[in-house]
Amino acid sequence: MRRRRVDPAAGARAGALPEAIAALSRSLPSGPSPEIFRRAKFDRPEATSALWQLLFRVLSPLPAGNALASIALEVQARLVKSALCSQGYPRLALAQLPEDGSQGSRELLLALSWLLARGPVPEQMLAQTRVPLGDEMTVCQCEALASLGPPAPHMEAEGPVDVRHVQWLMGKLRFRWRQLVSSQQEQCALLSKIHLYTRGCHSDQNLGHLSVTEAEMLRDPEGGQKLLRTLERESRRLEAVLAWRRAEPVFWQWMDTVLGTCTPEAPAAASQPTFLPWVPECGDGELELVVRELQTLEEELREAVERRRVAWEAKARGCGRGPEWSATRRASRETVEKELGALQRCWEQDSGPAPAHGPHRLVRREDGAAGDRDLRAAELIRTLRSQEACLEAVLRQLQGQCRQELARLAGALPGLIWILPPGR
Amino acid sequence: MSIVTVQLGQCGNQIGFEVFDALLSDSHSSQGLCCKRENEAYQASCKERFFSEEENGVPIARAVLVDMEPKVINQTLSKAAQSGRWKYGQHACFCQKQGSGNNWAYGYSVHGPRHEESIMNLIRKEVEKCDSFSGFFIIMSMAGGTGSGIGAFVTQNLQDQYSNSLKMNQIIWPYGTGEVIVQNYNSILTLSHLYRSSDALLVHENDAVHKICAKLMNIKQISFSDINQVLAHQLGSVFQPTYSAESSFHYRRNPLEGFKDPALYTSWLPVHAFNVWKTQRAFSKYEKSAVLVSNSQFLVKPLDMIVGKAWNMFASKAYIHQYTKFGIEEEDFLDSFTSLEQVVASYCNL
Repeated sequence: MRRRRVDPAAGARAGALPEAIAALSRSLPSGPSPEIFRRAKFDRPEATSALWQLLFRVLSPLPAGNALASIALEVQARLVKSALCSQGYPRLALAQLPEDGSQGSRELLLALSWLLARGPVPEQMLAQTRVPLGDEMTVCQCEALASLGPPAPHMEAEGPVDVRHVQWLMGKLRFRWRQLVSSQQEQCALLSKIHLYTRGCHSDQNLGHLSVTEAEMLRDPEGGQKLLRTLERESRRLEAVLAWRRAEPVFWQWMDTVLGTCTPEAPAAASQPTFLPWVPECGDGELELVVRELQTLEEELREAVERRRVAWEAKARGCGRGPEWSATRRASRETVEKELGALQRCWEQDSGPAPAHGPHRLVRREDGAAGDRDLRAAELIRTLRSQEACLEAVLRQLQGQCRQELARLAGALPGLIWILPPGR
Repeated sequence: MSIVTVQLGQCGNQIGFEVFDALLSDSHSSQGLCCKRENEAYQASCKERFFSEEENGVPIARAVLVDMEPKVINQTLSKAAQSGRWKYGQHACFCQKQGSGNNWAYGYSVHGPRHEESIMNLIRKEVEKCDSFSGFFIIMSMAGGTGSGIGAFVTQNLQDQYSNSLKMNQIIWPYGTGEVIVQNYNSILTLSHLYRSSDALLVHENDAVHKICAKLMNIKQISFSDINQVLAHQLGSVFQPTYSAESSFHYRRNPLEGFKDPALYTSWLPVHAFNVWKTQRAFSKYEKSAVLVSNSQFLVKPLDMIVGKAWNMFASKAYIHQYTKFGIEEEDFLDSFTSLEQVVASYCNL
């Protein structure tokens, strides 16, 4: 862990440190008191569980809720360890900490500051829990990718898995998926109705109509009060974040001293990670089979490559120079360029400015006028459709490859009739 | 969450009428045996699901009626209107004058494509009326030509156009000693096609329902109307609003706990695959009633029998020309046999 450069003159006045830590604590959801931080510097055991829980809140992709509170400390600790490991946390000592919260508060404090140094954690957490006033949806895929989060603790498969059970589960999954889609369609229809009915009600001319939250606020004044209190809480967290940013250098100075009290560690690169990827256990016999199969495949591939190379060389030697040869070469180069271009276009964002990240507010407009930073639904739909077409083409290609492979396997076993399932 | 019903053919339309009638009369029944608020919630939910509102307050069934002959549809429409409590939409039906001659191929390859646009338009209008649309309920028989052939065609279309919605097909399994000679051909063609495009097939066997009428209800001269009413009662109790298992209400002694016995389940299915939905309110004047919807091996024997009979006919090429005349080739038959044999095999190997 590299030491962060800090300006020694900053925040030298007394009381600056507790203020900085208090601001940090206020800017995080259910942050522990400055006292916990101080005790953690001296590795006091009573600070450990609060820090495990804070790390869990920071690293967990789940939104805050009662569900989180009911997760046992051991489980939280394990998830924190695996999340930090998968993010590349360099210190071994963390992985070796006991999960019952009995010791290790200083190490946890170091882990927290490592996370804080890597990215804007308080701002990210604030963004996760913000209250949207408008009806929103996101356009980019970032959120979907980021929410992959720490891997869940794995479950042992008890013995061989029956494929019919898997099929049954797939059926259930497909069913749930379709229910989700029809719920979304219902939601869209209702949103559209609300936007249509409340035309002209909004004080902001640019928006023109109410969102669901705003309409609800008018309908239910008590709910409106609740919303107001939530917004005030959010404001306070935002102010805490600003205060934290101003007071940050003091914190880092202090963390230097914390790091100083630790014993130096051997560089992490040389050591084995504690968490190995989980490999399903198969019997020895199966493993040997797999190894042998791989070796055979390798042989086959080598032979195939050799044959191809010989054939190509023969062809190329036969071609020689001349206008015919260069014409063929030019034609094939053009084809390749065209294919590459098509592929690139397929995967690139549509022409025009790439849509900004994060959620966008849905606004229904009659006149079709859009500001500079506004996105039009029609264009987005077009982009999504072309991406969908690309993915479908890839899917069809992969399915075709699967079918060819199946046919090849079926052909290899004489006397066996394969009945493929009806295409769906 | 609303359901759009598609009633196909004579069978589908007659049953559809009984179902809507049973649902509405249950929801208006005064013997709910529960508190007023509960009753109102129940009624509102049932109405939202199956009916839409009109200005004068008469609920309109969320249904599309399709048949190739006008007689049954006209009867159905007028019966509904006569009840005074509900009716079908004015423009919700599609019919022709010629019938399908109990020929699956005619229904699937001729009527289907010819009238595809009109039928799908009707369905689309009904779907657009729903605020929150949850899926289709398609009622048809297997043995005839209209319900089975057009039913298979329409279900396929719905799969293409509404791939995210759920489709459940209510299939009427014909009498073993039914009157239509080619009913087995029609059945296997229907089943194999629906297997691919539908999400759930709910089967009612005429023989079984007939037995219920005869033995449990002691009806002497069993008519189709009796059979249909029993069917409607069963379907109605499946469809009526219930609470999911997480809700706070439960009966004092839950007789359904017995179904959790692991011996009843296949080895690979977890016990929690059994879902119990409960409701406080009484259904159709029965103080307590329970309906079991199960996916089990019960169907193997009847299915096997139909496949066997159809295969015997096919082996001697009996009546095949009536199908090839309209574009259903022998290969299509073979495909159907293959799919259904696979289904039988999977169920046997549970």
